[in-house]
Amino acid sequence: MATQDLVTRETPETPEGPEAASLPLHHRILRYRPGQRMVHWLLATSFLLLLLTGLPLLWQPLGFLAAGGYTRLIHRIAAVGFMLVPVLYLLVDWRGARDLLVESFSYSRDDWEWLKHAYRYFMGHAAEMPPQGRLNAGQKLHHAGVVLTSFTIVATGLLLWLAKDRLGANGLAITAMVHDISMLILTILLIGHLYFTYVYQALPAMLTGYIDEEEAYLEYPKWVEEILASMAEEKRAKREERARQGGDD
Amino acid sequence: MTTYAFLLDLARCIGCQACVAACNVGNELPPDVHYIEIKEQTRGVFPDLRGSFQNHRCYHCGDAACVTVCPTGALYKQDGLTLVNPEICSGCGYCVEACPFHVPKLVDGRVSKCVACADVVKAGGTPWCVKTCPNHALRYGEREAILVEARQRVEAIKHRFPKAQLYGERESGGLGVILVLPEDPEALELPVDPRPTAMVNLWQKVVQPASIGLTGLSLAVTGVAAVIARRNHMKELEEFHRRFQARLAEEEAQLTGPGGASQGQATLPDEQSEKEV
Repeated sequence: MATQDLVTRETPETPEGPEAASLPLHHRILRYRPGQRMVHWLLATSFLLLLLTGLPLLWQPLGFLAAGGYTRLIHRIAAVGFMLVPVLYLLVDWRGARDLLVESFSYSRDDWEWLKHAYRYFMGHAAEMPPQGRLNAGQKLHHAGVVLTSFTIVATGLLLWLAKDRLGANGLAITAMVHDISMLILTILLIGHLYFTYVYQALPAMLTGYIDEEEAYLEYPKWVEEILASMAEEKRAKREERARQGGDD
Repeated sequence: MTTYAFLLDLARCIGCQACVAACNVGNELPPDVHYIEIKEQTRGVFPDLRGSFQNHRCYHCGDAACVTVCPTGALYKQDGLTLVNPEICSGCGYCVEACPFHVPKLVDGRVSKCVACADVVKAGGTPWCVKTCPNHALRYGEREAILVEARQRVEAIKHRFPKAQLYGERESGGLGVILVLPEDPEALELPVDPRPTAMVNLWQKVVQPASIGLTGLSLAVTGVAAVIARRNHMKELEEFHRRFQARLAEEEAQLTGPGGASQGQATLPDEQSEKEV
């Protein structure tokens, strides 16, 4: 597809063609492959467990939950799950992991424009946003934030796990502060994630793997156009193949 | 509010270990756990040597680092003393690291340290170490009275120990153990400023409350915004759906009408929608 189109187009276009008329709402696009969904839910489960078992050490009203150290045991089991997430993602779907990483750290001019008007997206207006690809700029920032803070939270977490008795008072305080702040960032990212999931009713996509076609058009027009273009390309290739075979006969 | 304190007169301590034994037995401590440890200290160069005993124990800091870092409230202040509720201890070990005197230990996964024989005192008795000391190096009572006596003792030994001084009256918000020192605190390996470090305070009093606060704020903001934003999005989705359908109908009309021709663009038929992207 023409790249020029991507930058200049303001509103997404609807599909054209003979089959288009029969499309209403019954068509879905694959957004998350099974491996990606599994990795997502492992991350979600381990993160929630880590949050719930870490909170009692931060907020005294919940402190009683930590008595006896059972929350610490659960915290460490969940931490292993959390650290396995990137490994598992690479094993079950390395292309998906690579795409997610690459896309989350590359921002186009549309992305910067999108971020400038992010408050409109925040308030539930996706239609007038600059056209986005498979991931919108907010999702890219979200993923980039998760990736970066995961490093600091894992590093400090391992220090607190394996070397707490060698840190000294200041070392302990600094390590724990970096751990706390990393978790604060991740928790706010999670709250935002849940917020946008609710506002843009995105949960079914992560449960079934499919996104409704119209919603995809509205929010990720460039992505849908890419799919359409590649399908058109495929069709044309098939047609040419058939024509060539016909010619050979 | 009345606060209580120990008097520990290091000019009188003879290192006899009687307080250690009484504490171990009275508190029924396991064999390898001690709330008091006595160490012989020697200073100077032969033949000009001076000796004393370090009577190492919980000093019941007013501004106690262990209490500051304790996440569960297992360590807490009461009547000027630092007490322990082992039931709710999580065994995190923060207190072990934070204590400027290196006092708390973890025993079987729970914090273990001197609690000033709280039960004995409550029943009208005297802490085991105080009761046992044969040389009157230890006293226990109301902190004001203990301070008065400690000052008198310092004055009384000035002629023998010119550097004699009080320790604990103001250190770390006022300790629950007032020490009579024959020397400078440094010479006796006592920290000059045993307050929680700035980093510990920043961690406990700024970063942690701010983390909870900002999380709560995010929840509140998104909670309110979610209702409005969801409504907005549903509206735009409806509008988009309407335009989408209108466009499709228009195209269909074009196709079925006279002279209508396929635009030839790809769409999303069923069998292809599951294509990996």
